Amino acid sequence: MPRPDLAALEQDLLRFGMAARQVRRTLGELDAHFDDLVEDALTTGLDRELAEWQALERLGAMQDIATAARTRLELRDWAHRFPYVALVVYPLGCLAALPAAPVIAYAGDLARWTACILLGGFVTAAMLLLLQLTITLG
Amino acid sequence: MAQTNPPFMSGVPELLLLRLLDQNEMYGYELVRSIRAATGEAISLGEGVIYPVLHGLERGGALRSRRRSVGGRTRVYYSLTHKGRQRLTKLQNDWRRVQRGISNALENPARAPA
Repeated sequence: MPRPDLAALEQDLLRFGMAARQVRRTLGELDAHFDDLVEDALTTGLDRELAEWQALERLGAMQDIATAARTRLELRDWAHRFPYVALVVYPLGCLAALPAAPVIAYAGDLARWTACILLGGFVTAAMLLLLQLTITLG
Repeated sequence: MAQTNPPFMSGVPELLLLRLLDQNEMYGYELVRSIRAATGEAISLGEGVIYPVLHGLERGGALRSRRRSVGGRTRVYYSLTHKGRQRLTKLQNDWRRVQRGISNALENPARAPA
């Protein structure tokens, strides 16, 4: 049964840098288009196999579709459109943010420790003040 | 295989798609049939190549799409945006200018500078 080689096209589009979601959508629409072509061909009296061959021919070569996609740079995902950002700025940004990672990851524990230290300091200060007052007034 | 005319196709599918979508929202297969009908099959292209063009136009803000279930099948319908209408006007003007230039050159080749 002739069918468009969508698996090969998928690989081509992914290699070109098209976002996976966009690739899935393109393949889905091509598949539906092929089914429409087959249905139309069947209504002209062709048998199924001939109808599928004709549909395949009208859909065009997968290579041509890949070439058409390659000319549309706006279909690439951001990492392929802005490789310097993806390969330089983004990793450096992650590296710079690395020291903050434990703070973010243990934010709850840090907040509890901070509260305990502040409370301990407050109690100590209050006791020292009380001692001072006792000595002074005593 | 149907004969295509790739050297002359640059920008033409885009112009035709925008022009047809200016009238109605359509899905891919419907668009291809409309192109065939509107051009008297003078424009012949591998039908699958319209999808990268449609998706590129949508990404550029010239088209919007929505999914609609029709007869138990899900279709992606495309329609023109305001930005798309502006782009259509520009492409139409460009095309008419080129068309006039070529017509002039074909009719009066002697006027071309040596």
